[in-house]
Amino acid sequence: MRTRREVLAATAAALAMPKVAFAEGEPPKPKQLIFNASGGSQIASLRENYLNDFEKETGIKIVDTSPVDFGKLRAMVESGNVSWNITEIGGQDGYRVTEMGLAEPIDAKIIDRSKFQPQAQMSHVFSPSCYSTVMCYRPDAFPKGGPKSWADFWDVKAFPGPRSMRNHPVDNLEAALIADGVTLEALYPLDVDRAFRKLDAIHKHVNVWWSTGQQPAQLLVDKEVVLATGWNGRFYDLIRKEAPLVMEWNGGILKQGSWVVPKGAKDQYWAMKTLAAMADPKRQAANAEILGYSGMHLDSNQYVAEKIRPLLPLYPDNLKKQVWLDQKWWTVNGAQIGERWNKWMLSKA
Amino acid sequence: MTLASTTAPVASRAWLRPGPFALTLPALLLLTLLFMLPLVRLFSLSFTGGFGWYEKALTGGLYTVILYRTFEIAGIVTFFSFVIGYPVAFLLATTTPKWRAIGFAFVMLPLWTSVLVRTYAWMVLLGRNGIINRMLIDSGLLDTPLSLLNSRLAVILGMVHVMLPFMILPIYSALTRIDPDLPTAARGLGASALRILTTIYLPLSLRGIVAGVTLVFVVSLGFYITPALLGGGKVMMYAMVIEQQVREFLAWNFAGALSVILLAVTLVMFWLLNQGVARHLRD
Repeated sequence: MRTRREVLAATAAALAMPKVAFAEGEPPKPKQLIFNASGGSQIASLRENYLNDFEKETGIKIVDTSPVDFGKLRAMVESGNVSWNITEIGGQDGYRVTEMGLAEPIDAKIIDRSKFQPQAQMSHVFSPSCYSTVMCYRPDAFPKGGPKSWADFWDVKAFPGPRSMRNHPVDNLEAALIADGVTLEALYPLDVDRAFRKLDAIHKHVNVWWSTGQQPAQLLVDKEVVLATGWNGRFYDLIRKEAPLVMEWNGGILKQGSWVVPKGAKDQYWAMKTLAAMADPKRQAANAEILGYSGMHLDSNQYVAEKIRPLLPLYPDNLKKQVWLDQKWWTVNGAQIGERWNKWMLSKA
Repeated sequence: MTLASTTAPVASRAWLRPGPFALTLPALLLLTLLFMLPLVRLFSLSFTGGFGWYEKALTGGLYTVILYRTFEIAGIVTFFSFVIGYPVAFLLATTTPKWRAIGFAFVMLPLWTSVLVRTYAWMVLLGRNGIINRMLIDSGLLDTPLSLLNSRLAVILGMVHVMLPFMILPIYSALTRIDPDLPTAARGLGASALRILTTIYLPLSLRGIVAGVTLVFVVSLGFYITPALLGGGKVMMYAMVIEQQVREFLAWNFAGALSVILLAVTLVMFWLLNQGVARHLRD
């Protein structure tokens, strides 16, 4: 018969076992991880700069899917059937995803963000890059010089021609208020009534209210419009391909490129490891050169080729003219303003 | 002997012969699983917290106006699909087999092309820098391009283009079942072409017309891609609002209520239409 002491010792050893095993090695590797993103040229660059090497080093296959879909993320988490290991979310949704409990907290032991921008320190969202909603125009439409501010964007006499803006209140309310004379520092909380009044003035000059990111760039190339708002990376891509377009950073509205590990996702350790691979400043710089989205690691910009730096949102001269979107404000007010936006759009038709 | 031995087992297994119900069973099962169950779930979702979501959907203007405009666009699209589709179906039904084959190729080809591709084709045609505007400007008829794209007109054009085959096919099928002796006899008795059309072809193809109108109207109500791309964001359809509630605002209860309303209004409209047609056929 065992003595009491022996039983206690055996129990203690058994209890200690898993801890020892964890400390010694990593959780078992899955065969593959599902990586949901925007797709297109973005995923090609992410593969080239982060994911291919991750696959080689770990032997885990990364399967990429698209598109980004917040509704689907919520459906997955709520049904407990989470098929994504990692997913991108919209830049305005980082706070909302945290509030709604749809994401796992970022594991600081796996992902080192000590040298990241302050805007990239969110508890449940990993942000390796950032992007900006800026205006872009065809210089051939404005021989005397293009618009330099949101006020110019609104000035249809000095800068005539059809425009395009996003069919969404985010960014447009900010742009309207800046055009109306509100300073970047005093922007939030947004004066919604004032913003809609200012939007009234531009509505009939907006030919296309765009819904997908590639639309504004294409509309400019097709000469369907001469001036448009859009995500800087889409314009960057065309400008690098020598399309006759000019981007204006003044009044640009910055957002975090955002990634989460969905709440309850499988193989979280390896999902965090994948994100950690995206934290390297040199790799972020290489990704920025392809996509036009600045790395969030503070050292990232210095690894970007010198002639490309001024084309990125976090380049110091560009950064000081822009403002970060207030995600908290939009999380609280988004749905209500979305409805008002629809009503406004309907009243104009 | 041999005859009896082969027929006897067949007769005794008569119950194995699939009846009409058994034949539809796979389709019924599929519909129940993939359509009815989610619909019931959506229905119950929309009633969480009583009628609040319905109240929101039916008051305050916004959603009822969008619903009205959606029906309006679906109605216009159905009208033009009929006006263009009936003559085409008529030609296909009355022409020689060779021309019928060629005609059908033209009707079916677009049906096999992705809606997205056809929508982009309209963008190429209607754009400010598109083929139509360039022709008008180059020929000196215009100085500044017309705004054809990004309008309700463009949405209706694009939708009629997509929906035409759905109007033509059922009408064609009804027209081919008309006894060819009837118009010949009418002509022999001195009836005018218009008289033959209104007293023979139209009434006898009524079932095909109803089928075509129903198909086009119902599918038009749910249109999504074409209005988004050709309307420049200015044309709002009910399906777009539902999608926005699901994906962006995550208000699934409300999206459920909107879906139930769209379904209910559609069903009532078609019940009325069918009642009217049935009465007409009885008379």
